[in-house]
Amino acid sequence: MSLKSYIITRIILALPMILVLLILIFFILRIIPGDPVLAILGGKAPVEVIEAKRHELGLDKPIIIQFFDYLGDVAKGDLGVSTLTNRPVWNEIKDRFPATLELTIFAFIIALVIGIFWGAEAAWRKDKPLDISARVYSIFIYAIPVFWLGLMLQLLFGIYLRWLPVGGRLSPRVSLDIKTGLLLLDSLITWNWEAFWDVLKHLLLPGITLGLVISSIFLRMVRNNTVLMLSKDFVKAAKARGLKPRVILYGHAVRNAFVPIFTIMGMQFALLLAGAVLTETTFSWPGIGSYLVLKIKYRDFPAIQGAIIFFALFVVIISIIIDIVNALVDPRVRY
Amino acid sequence: MRKKFISERLGEFISDLFGTGTGWLTFVGALILIFYIILAVFSPQIAPYNPTERVGRSLTAPNDQFIFGTDNLGRDVLSRVIYGARIALMIAFIAVAIAAGVGVPLGLISGFIGGPFDRVLTLIMDAIYSFPGLILAIAIAAVLGPGVINIAVSIAVVYTPTYFRVIRNQVASVKSELYVEAARALGAKNYEILMKYIFPNVLPSIVVVLSMNLADAIMTEAGLSFLGLGIAPPTPDWGFDLSNGQRFVLSKAWWGLLYPGIAIITVVLGFSMFSEGLNELINPTIRERR
Repeated sequence: MSLKSYIITRIILALPMILVLLILIFFILRIIPGDPVLAILGGKAPVEVIEAKRHELGLDKPIIIQFFDYLGDVAKGDLGVSTLTNRPVWNEIKDRFPATLELTIFAFIIALVIGIFWGAEAAWRKDKPLDISARVYSIFIYAIPVFWLGLMLQLLFGIYLRWLPVGGRLSPRVSLDIKTGLLLLDSLITWNWEAFWDVLKHLLLPGITLGLVISSIFLRMVRNNTVLMLSKDFVKAAKARGLKPRVILYGHAVRNAFVPIFTIMGMQFALLLAGAVLTETTFSWPGIGSYLVLKIKYRDFPAIQGAIIFFALFVVIISIIIDIVNALVDPRVRY
Repeated sequence: MRKKFISERLGEFISDLFGTGTGWLTFVGALILIFYIILAVFSPQIAPYNPTERVGRSLTAPNDQFIFGTDNLGRDVLSRVIYGARIALMIAFIAVAIAAGVGVPLGLISGFIGGPFDRVLTLIMDAIYSFPGLILAIAIAAVLGPGVINIAVSIAVVYTPTYFRVIRNQVASVKSELYVEAARALGAKNYEILMKYIFPNVLPSIVVVLSMNLADAIMTEAGLSFLGLGIAPPTPDWGFDLSNGQRFVLSKAWWGLLYPGIAIITVVLGFSMFSEGLNELINPTIRERR
């Protein structure tokens, strides 16, 4: 199969999945107890007004027609209007998405750094304290709820040591021109070092919290694959050539251990997103996760539906991208 | 394949550390579980105070009278942690029962009859499975509102596909075994084949998935209630108490945050150790197969 037809097949295969998810979301959010029209207008509105609103929202049509209307709207990128703010849900999500993206990318990098370096060093010193401590670390990091880890880091670094802020993305006193919405990038391209430092300080705690949670998976993968690679002949050959241990470890063993690791990394994405919802709430991080939780508090159903659809599409798209990149890296995947 | 269960991954980490064939791991896990079950069942006898009543000054640091301190409403944190085991275990058990109660029969039938029915159901289950579990549970909990059963249902929806997939795949492979064919040749009815020959063969996997699922259900419940989607206050609940405690993080009231968290961690570890041990005992090859 050529790469092009692989990509097309992969996208076509994802369509029924997306459809099923959209159907599920539609019906789950239609079994809401209570009348959404009354929720918007309040109980005392006159009957004519209620009927007019019902007609306006298309709620007087048969459910199957409503469903196709909804599918058409989603396809057009129209996620409805928030009942809380009267703004289009898509715009609100677009405004908040960079915050989530920045947090997850940062967390991913932290997890990678921990995973690669600790994993490689643990593999090099197999069954020594550094290796055993890596395994103990993995167990605890995985049993700890991500929001509790966040709370503990807040308490230690934010409250007791006062090194880092405990919430938000940017201090009110710092000014920054927002261009991409990724504040770290924005402050870099405008050479605003004060803002860069401030943004980084805000990003550290939530980023570390989220990053630690998935680091254990990378750590295990890197360690086990590197141990395997270290026993291979090419490592022996490298040793025989008198290469430095660092070069053998990182240049040869870890590098070759990386192909299976890449696949696993992609699979952690759904976990990362779920963790992001909790982390964002813990650190008042203005992303999609805290948006969802906020809208649930106000029972703003168009916004809730929009956020969930956004998450669903996001997961599917990321998994497609990862499959494609995998196929690029390893041609065997395509067959 | 992606691992759905936190405890499945945790089990891996645990056997990485201790090696395989560790019966004592199951034993320690079981001890932790028994400890929490006793706490849950006998909370009124064990807890020193009423968990929903003001018994001391607000935000008292741990002392002789309140060894875990008091929360912002002067309620005893220790008593709330003890009673919290009740709600955590109750919701986890109900959620797991619902998930297994729906997923197992569907998996049995789907794997057994195959065809378009199987394909459609597999597609639906895969769609749910691929979705981030917590976010799905949040959506359903938001719609259903608070209440023990509602929370349990939201959690159960997330884990039903796991039962479905494990059972369906096993049934699909078991059904072409020679002994099933023999039973059919002897005139056994479909129902008999399913219940007498296939079900006993997939039962061990169900038990293992069940025990893993409990740890995850507790974790998810804590997450939901931390986000304010759990059962209504003032019922003691670890996740809710943590979100309540966070409001007083600035007054350095660490005791309201530390203890409920430790309770969640130990109970999750307990279930994971237990299920990992069980996994090895019941079915040494199960991990390769899944």
